[in-house]
Amino acid sequence: MNQRPNEIKIESHGDIILLDIRGDVTAFSEPSLNSAYNSAKESNPKKILLRFEEAAYINSGGIAVLIQVLAQTRRNNQKIGIIGLSDHFKKVFKMVGITRFATIYPTLQDALSAMAALA
Amino acid sequence: MLDDQTVELNLPSKLGYERIVIGGLAAFAKSVGFSSSRIEDLKTSVAEACINAMQHGNKGKPDARVLVAIRFQGNTLLISVFDEGDGFKAEPKDPDIERILENLDPPVGFGVFLMKRLMDKVEFNRTSNHQHEVRMTMKLTG
Repeated sequence: MNQRPNEIKIESHGDIILLDIRGDVTAFSEPSLNSAYNSAKESNPKKILLRFEEAAYINSGGIAVLIQVLAQTRRNNQKIGIIGLSDHFKKVFKMVGITRFATIYPTLQDALSAMAALA
Repeated sequence: MLDDQTVELNLPSKLGYERIVIGGLAAFAKSVGFSSSRIEDLKTSVAEACINAMQHGNKGKPDARVLVAIRFQGNTLLISVFDEGDGFKAEPKDPDIERILENLDPPVGFGVFLMKRLMDKVEFNRTSNHQHEVRMTMKLTG
């Protein structure tokens, strides 16, 4: 079964770059996520916010892709926020350890306020 | 043996078809009374078992199949995922995200890790007809 490519919009909110990720997050998401991250990286942002769709299907292939993006953000000293996850995937992200390296915020406004205050 | 509490799904060994299973599984689990949060745990666990069966068990063989049997017995949901492979030589170790981020480990092992944490019980078996089975259980009261 094919997965439609993710549509990822990139928005600037002050010094925060928002990657708005539409669709399911699986191994098939690797090209679109990497491409979006590379585009976002061009402005040398120090803060990146990933927004997922709450109804998105996320599997281990998608988690591996996200962790590879996290590895790049770590090398580039970027702070990462996450919004839009369902309660289930908040739990899953905590289980696999993603929340040790990225902060999950309840809403876009919460994320923008909290991340704007980060050094 | 199939009975009125058993559902079987026979899938092509192609990534993405696990979604067919989790759609049916969610409907089945809801019909016997599982909560929405436990159904989400089931969906992730069974999707991961199917993905492992396709990628590691059947190793991308185009004519291989993945068979999923879902049964409600007593107060327990039993799900078996069969592939045509040999199973693990050794069960994968839990992924260490710190080591993965430092490129010291590959980003693998999340599927089995999640199955073991989200289900009540997970077993890996060789069957008498040379298939590999992942058998998972979740109690209704769990």
